[in-house]
Amino acid sequence: MKNKLKFLTKISLNKKIKTKWFAIANIIILVAIVCLVNADSLVKFFGGDFDNTTDILVIDNTEEQIYDEFKSTYEQASSYLEDTTKANITLYEDSEEKAKEEVKEENKVLLILEDDNTNFIKASLISNSGVDVLISQIITSSLNSVKSNIALNYYNITPDKLAVIDKSVTIEKIKLDDSQSNDETMELLMGVAFPIIILPFFMLTLFLVQMIGAEINEEKTTRGMEIIISNVSPKVHFFSKLLASNIFVILQGIILIVDVVIALIIRMATTGVNNISSMVETAGLGDVITTLNSSGILNNLIYIIPLTLILMLLTLVAYSLVAGILASMTTNIEDYQQVQTPIVIISLIGYYLAMMAVMFDGSLFIRILSYVPFISALLSPALLILGQISIIDVIISTIILIISIILLFKYGLRIYKVGILNYSSTGLWKKMFKAVRNQ
Amino acid sequence: MLKVEHVTKYYGDLCAVNDLSFDVADGEIFGLLGLNGAGKTTTFRMIMGLIDDYTGSILLDGKKIDYSVTDQIGFLTEERSLLTKMTVLDQIKYYGVLKGMPEDSIEKKLDYWLERFDIKDYKNKKIKELSKGNQQKIQFISSIIHEPKLLILDEPFSGLDPINVELFKQTILELKNKGTSIIFSSHRMEHVEMFCEKLVVLVKGKSVINGYLKDIKEEYRKKNIIICGDIDTKKLKNVKGVIDITKNGDNYLVKIEDKKYVNNVFKAISKCDNITKFSVEDASLNEIFIEKVGETYEK
Repeated sequence: MKNKLKFLTKISLNKKIKTKWFAIANIIILVAIVCLVNADSLVKFFGGDFDNTTDILVIDNTEEQIYDEFKSTYEQASSYLEDTTKANITLYEDSEEKAKEEVKEENKVLLILEDDNTNFIKASLISNSGVDVLISQIITSSLNSVKSNIALNYYNITPDKLAVIDKSVTIEKIKLDDSQSNDETMELLMGVAFPIIILPFFMLTLFLVQMIGAEINEEKTTRGMEIIISNVSPKVHFFSKLLASNIFVILQGIILIVDVVIALIIRMATTGVNNISSMVETAGLGDVITTLNSSGILNNLIYIIPLTLILMLLTLVAYSLVAGILASMTTNIEDYQQVQTPIVIISLIGYYLAMMAVMFDGSLFIRILSYVPFISALLSPALLILGQISIIDVIISTIILIISIILLFKYGLRIYKVGILNYSSTGLWKKMFKAVRNQ
Repeated sequence: MLKVEHVTKYYGDLCAVNDLSFDVADGEIFGLLGLNGAGKTTTFRMIMGLIDDYTGSILLDGKKIDYSVTDQIGFLTEERSLLTKMTVLDQIKYYGVLKGMPEDSIEKKLDYWLERFDIKDYKNKKIKELSKGNQQKIQFISSIIHEPKLLILDEPFSGLDPINVELFKQTILELKNKGTSIIFSSHRMEHVEMFCEKLVVLVKGKSVINGYLKDIKEEYRKKNIIICGDIDTKKLKNVKGVIDITKNGDNYLVKIEDKKYVNNVFKAISKCDNITKFSVEDASLNEIFIEKVGETYEK
């Protein structure tokens, strides 16, 4: 029987891995992750190909002739935006009518600057079919800056004095309980934990539930199940499905990690940054690492990582048990799609709770929910990272989950034994309850 | 040898099989017949060890059916039992290993059977790409690849053309001659008559006919007389013992109530012209089946 279990697991695993769709899906995932990790380089790469220079004609009718100052202010502001608002600014010497004709024919932008008695300068921005929002904003801020300089000179205020006037009041935020992180830190931490841990786990869980249901129903829709069960016990069959599906999901998780590593290597090669700390900095993750460090989470990673991994692996086992039991009760994949909805909803509840975990600081209800099997693996890591629960809470969740798995296995196997050879949906629940009661 | 003794199986209040007994010797082909829902599938499931909550006993070579015995049973199901996304090779390997065969020995045997059934080019094709007839061949191979001691064939000729039916017949007879016990189930009575020495007919889980085919036919009183010639059917219908007369090509089929009425018929037609054939035959299994099953249903 042991050899048959090994063989069934191998066959089941091969059916999932040795398909062109597995390869295609993983190639797509790899490409997506590489693009995501290297998004900034890609934007720059494609951005360089677009000729998005705007021609701005300036008619300067002001007494002080502010064209040069405006042009230098604009170019300085534009340089901060990495040339996405590049403009070719020229002083227009000819008449306004002729300039308008150029605007109409060559899609240029005309800026007419004039003196204003109350507000120093006023301007008209003329275009044929509108001006890019960002360019319009930079023109406005550049003109405001020029106007400020004129006003400062007029009222005899030095730039240093203005800086003091404009400076914001500094507010020092102090919390007497050091163990509580502040909201900003929490948001930052969740910003990291969610896409790295919770979202992939949630997706893998759904994938697992779907996969087990599809495979068991594929065998059930033919009389092949009778051939199989006449030669291996339902227990061995059930085990093989659980093993194969969980190995596959873990393998898929490892592939995702490898994809991220490949994406980082590509990033190193393309950005020229060849050490992790520099890469973290260039990716804008420096603040996150500092925050993680200051919150003390990095010091506790030695406990957090294995505990979270154990909780997640056990949760995958629990989900696969339920999926297997439900799949054995259904007679085709359509029925299974309906019956699996409650599992998906439970998983979804865990997902949303984890996503909103930052809002539940100190809630006893959420703490209790983090003990609930199926939800705990999604919610507990989020709450743990946010410092809302302790390692002890995660251990409690794990123990509750282990007890649930034992019960699910004990009673679920009874249902599986009856359900797997049941081809009729008539009196289904009656049959299942009877199976649970019988030894 | 398979021995089924006083087997009764209930599903709730419904009696699916009622005190069924029969045995199938080595190298014997046994017919298990019945209308849909008569209890055949339940019987097969019990023999396969899929159902164990029944009374009575089922023994294969003196051993109770369990996972150590089921490796010696081959089962060709009436419905499709192949996993259509698999290739022929993977499918046969899958079932072969489950039947206890070493994985590396399967391909060689498969090659033999594919060659035999003239489908060797399909070895690496997916099952779903094959025609119904070829799928049936693969299903048949999957049930015999491990050389079972007991082979259950449920409608084995389904989807086959006449040439392949002949090929299957030869193979089944070869297996029988090699000592395989075969349980044969079909709604085609001519196939059952051709193969089975012994049979059981089930009606609502109970056997209404059980024994050797020869004895069953002999015990069945009604006979058929085949006559070829110019006969007066109106006159013949009035002869004592005649039940019905039908024309089949040049021949007339005269059904009589009992063998003792043969002389009456012979006398009645002896004055007719051009009589070239007068043959007394047993009733067909089909007739016996229809009458017995019908009688039991009416009860």
